[in-house]
Amino acid sequence: MEEEVEKAVFAYLRKRGFRLTEIALQEEQSRLSADASLSRSESDAAKYYDGYGKLRSWAYNSLDSYRHELLRVLYPVFIHCFMDLVAQGHMQEARTFFQTFREDHEMMHLRDLQKLEGILSPSHLEEMELARLWRQNKVKIRLCQYSYELLVQYLHKTQSLAMLGVINEHINFEVYPGQPASISDDSEAVSLIGTSQDLAREINQKELHWGLLEDSVEERMEKALSESDKTEVDGNKEADTEDNNKKKTDGNKHGTAVNNKKKKDKVVGATGKTIRSETSMVSVPPRVKSELTLPQFPPEVEQSILEDLRNRVQLGSLALPSVSFYTFLNTHNGLNCSTISHDGSLVAGGFSDSSVKIWDMAKIGQPGRASNSQGENGSMQGMHSLASDEAKRPYSLLQGHSGPVYSVSFSPFADFLLSSSSDNTIRLWSTRLNANLVSYKGHNFPVWDAQFSPMGHYFATASHDRTARLWSMERIQPLRVMAGHLSDVDCVQWHPNCNYIATGSSDKTVRLWDVQTGNCARLFIGHRSMVVSLAISPDGRFMASGDEDGTIMLWDLSTGRSVSPIIGHNSCVWTLAFSCEGTLLASGSADCMVKLWDVTSSMKALKTDDSKSGPASRLRLLKALPTKSTPVYTLRFSRRNLLFAAGALSAGS
Amino acid sequence: MSIVPKETIEVIAQSIGISNLSPDVSLALAPDVEYRLREITQEAIKCMRHSKRTVLTADDVDSALNLRNIEPIYGFASGDPLKFKRAIGHKDLFYLDDREVDFKEVIDTPLPKAPLDTAVVTHWLAIEGVQPAIPENPPIEAIVAPADGKKTDHGKDDSLPIDLKLPIKHVLSRELQMYFDKIGELILGRAETPLFKDALLSLAKDSGLHPLVPYFSYFIADEVSRNLNNLPILFALMRVVKSLLSNPHIHIEPYLHQMMPSIITCLVAKRVGHQISDNHWAIRDFAAKIVASICRRYGHVYHNLQSRLTKTLIHAFLDPSKALTQHYGAIQGLSALGPSVVRLLILPNLETYMQLLDPEMQLDKQKNELKRKEAWRVYGSLLLAAGSCLYDCLRLFPGLLSPPDILPWKTNKKLALTNLPNNKRKASSRLTAHQPPSKKLAVDPAGTNSQFPSTDGPATSSSSGSNPNHHHSHNSSNNNSSSTGNITNTNVNINNVTGGGAHGQRVAVSNVLRQAWKEDMDAAHLLSSLHGLFGEGIFSFIQPAEMHCFI
Repeated sequence: MEEEVEKAVFAYLRKRGFRLTEIALQEEQSRLSADASLSRSESDAAKYYDGYGKLRSWAYNSLDSYRHELLRVLYPVFIHCFMDLVAQGHMQEARTFFQTFREDHEMMHLRDLQKLEGILSPSHLEEMELARLWRQNKVKIRLCQYSYELLVQYLHKTQSLAMLGVINEHINFEVYPGQPASISDDSEAVSLIGTSQDLAREINQKELHWGLLEDSVEERMEKALSESDKTEVDGNKEADTEDNNKKKTDGNKHGTAVNNKKKKDKVVGATGKTIRSETSMVSVPPRVKSELTLPQFPPEVEQSILEDLRNRVQLGSLALPSVSFYTFLNTHNGLNCSTISHDGSLVAGGFSDSSVKIWDMAKIGQPGRASNSQGENGSMQGMHSLASDEAKRPYSLLQGHSGPVYSVSFSPFADFLLSSSSDNTIRLWSTRLNANLVSYKGHNFPVWDAQFSPMGHYFATASHDRTARLWSMERIQPLRVMAGHLSDVDCVQWHPNCNYIATGSSDKTVRLWDVQTGNCARLFIGHRSMVVSLAISPDGRFMASGDEDGTIMLWDLSTGRSVSPIIGHNSCVWTLAFSCEGTLLASGSADCMVKLWDVTSSMKALKTDDSKSGPASRLRLLKALPTKSTPVYTLRFSRRNLLFAAGALSAGS
Repeated sequence: MSIVPKETIEVIAQSIGISNLSPDVSLALAPDVEYRLREITQEAIKCMRHSKRTVLTADDVDSALNLRNIEPIYGFASGDPLKFKRAIGHKDLFYLDDREVDFKEVIDTPLPKAPLDTAVVTHWLAIEGVQPAIPENPPIEAIVAPADGKKTDHGKDDSLPIDLKLPIKHVLSRELQMYFDKIGELILGRAETPLFKDALLSLAKDSGLHPLVPYFSYFIADEVSRNLNNLPILFALMRVVKSLLSNPHIHIEPYLHQMMPSIITCLVAKRVGHQISDNHWAIRDFAAKIVASICRRYGHVYHNLQSRLTKTLIHAFLDPSKALTQHYGAIQGLSALGPSVVRLLILPNLETYMQLLDPEMQLDKQKNELKRKEAWRVYGSLLLAAGSCLYDCLRLFPGLLSPPDILPWKTNKKLALTNLPNNKRKASSRLTAHQPPSKKLAVDPAGTNSQFPSTDGPATSSSSGSNPNHHHSHNSSNNNSSSTGNITNTNVNINNVTGGGAHGQRVAVSNVLRQAWKEDMDAAHLLSSLHGLFGEGIFSFIQPAEMHCFI
């Protein structure tokens, strides 16, 4: 319209021959347009600043019940405003914008902010993973109907085009009818992953065979128990004699005292069984076939497992475990990781000086050896010849790596030890020979974690190269490469049925992988910082994950949902462990605490809440056990439910 | 714009030999430098987390550089976190405290000790969810009464429910046994060494000593009865008792009944140490303090604790056949229990006891110098007990002596005449005034003796019935000396008790005393009667401010 008028004016001037007027008009026009373009770029920056500022104050002043939903919108808008400013080259403005509003988001997204703060030029936007992700993907935000309308109304009324642009370009709203959800479960409200949220949902809807392995030792044990139950019904006496017979075959030398004990044992077993059968009414873990060819345990090993299972203590919220703590002394800040064998007899530590050391606790326990003698002539040790030193040393020293050792893991019967190191290799050691057997090369970057499968033979590794890999002991090449994480894979854990492995990553997600196909089977979003520890419950249904900030989350593997997260510790949760029946969760942290959590109650809530994702119950703290300035590195429940813990005494305090 | 100023870029450029860097270049480089720094720091933090640490070290930065295929920075490696110092005058500028090292010094210094090798030790962090109080665990605030059977489950991981509570064989760990032997050796042999002090500190502070308490209580009882003549050992034993009592991690109540007899022995034994050479008074005082502290702490738990104790002590106190040293101990023990005990138990018997003590203190009646000294000791402790009781009364009712409207009335009063030469009285009052109230009167027995060579009992013989008095009026008593009739008048005025003249004074005094105990708040009466018994020595227990009021 305007242009037409303009054209008409020019035509008119030309027609009438007002040449000077025409030139003057043209000059004035060009000057004006130049001004406009200049002022536009100037005001662009200000528009973001003002627009965001207004949106922010509007959101904070909105109605109480809708406020937390509207506040969710602010963070992505904030990030995109900042990045747009950077992309347009307004460095200074971007900085001031960032500094002014960063405080609002520090609590929730501190780590992201710290990363994004470094972006100072458009080229950084291209280079930095996180920034690229943000710009390439849309954020999905769930809003209730009314909140959404409020927001749309506001944007229309204020005519803030910059904000409207940002929101249109980068945010997908998922509007749901009804009342706004409560504040507590907004953990997944704003999170960003490489794949879109839809894909994540799709992944999580895949079928998952989370049940236990069929024909496992436990199952056979249970079967045997139920059979003995039947015989008990037939006649108590008979059962007793049978019991006695069994004992005799066990090579029992003690006589009647043990007889009594055995009976009691049996009673305990029976009560345990009734409990189990009660719970099994609710859900008995389904049995699945293993996808890997698994090794068979030798009979004597199986016998010892059965023995352990028979002697297992029933733990619960009322029966707390005993905790035996292994303290590493004089580590000089060099201990990076530790592990404890299933029976607690062997303890291994990986050190930053590339060495791995194994202690045999049975030998240390003997009087007059090791620790005592070492304490007294510690100063003398330097003078001994190397050979005698070798003999005197209370541990076996394994040398072979050429970089800090980041993880160690015992095979189920402690005859092998795996160690992973920053020299990109994983080494397999024999604990009998105290020698290196194999060095597995395949990762291109430091290997953060290596874990033996529950059945042995296979192991999984996690690396800085963003992959997790599956290996078998006799091959030097990996069997599977699990790729998909957007940042380092920091920890890895096997599912008890050996068909899945779980990995935790610096991209704040936990993934579950199918070992047969190597595909991602589940994607768990909710952590706010790097995931450093994982544990899967013995029945295979639940998974716990701990992160750098001390948050612990409990996930239902089948649905991919979580019990609402809790700030369990003040510092990194280095380790998590489920008790053998899965009733307790133990967590160990850098804040020098071992905490015991009640899993059963929260699981019940999960099970009953299957339909709706209402405010799930939290993990209940049963007991906090402080250590004497010793961060807890490793926790492990023995098969008899004794809890072992290990950590290095931190000097100076 | 960037936190790296362009000047920094210029300085670095110069340091690597580029002298003419254009400002545009440095301006463009600065943001990138910041970005790279952040990147490296982020990787370094990753390495730190995987080393299970929460403090970033130079090694982590090196590992991060390695990850990025960059040559690490040499020369900063150290096991410990670096120590930074703040640059003076700058708010957030820090530097490493990196001193110059002289090679010669390095060569000359002897090799340092080889660092201790890594070791693993085990302990029970919890037993069935309960943390045992052992030195390896952090101290718990307060000990809950130890549940039986919990501590004995060591080593069994298949805890079956225990139906029968069999007598448990108590196994003492080797370390605790060594500890116990060492402490015993210290007590018996080397109680003067500084090591013993450390041992006492350890006894008073360490957790996990609980298993040793029965052994200690037996040891103490045993050694006290055996070493009654050896004062240093007794002292050491008492100090051990004190340490054990003050240890917050020890649940000592069940063992109190074993320890009390030993402590009371130290308090009221007839002979403790060598009578002449040793300062056995000190251990009696010390034991008295311990007894009192026990009563304070556990008195509310065991109601008969204090009553039994006071019964024992009053028995020792009132038995004339007992030695003076025993009397002394009893008095000290009772007075340590507090002023109210003194008021209830000592003061009513004071009068009669003084009659007993009196002859012992006089030179002409008691020829044995040692006995006389002892008597003076007892006198001193009585004075202290009564005095502190009085002090307490006055503290509770400060108005009793100070009201100004009474003051003129009091100063008008006629004063009692003492049949002592006035200079003697002065001397004695000076002496007591020199002693701080918390000290015993006769700390220096020799001096006291020289002061009173011819005294015929300065305190008891002083005719009583005088009013709550003050030095001033008393010292000038020979000026306004008056008849006995006046005394009775004043007595009537003050006490409403009719004194029977000079001869009947004792009766009057006991009347006064009885009255005082009945209305036991009446500190004025108390003071008057105490003055009757002790003379002016008692004035040192009145607060100076109040004394000023009188003068």
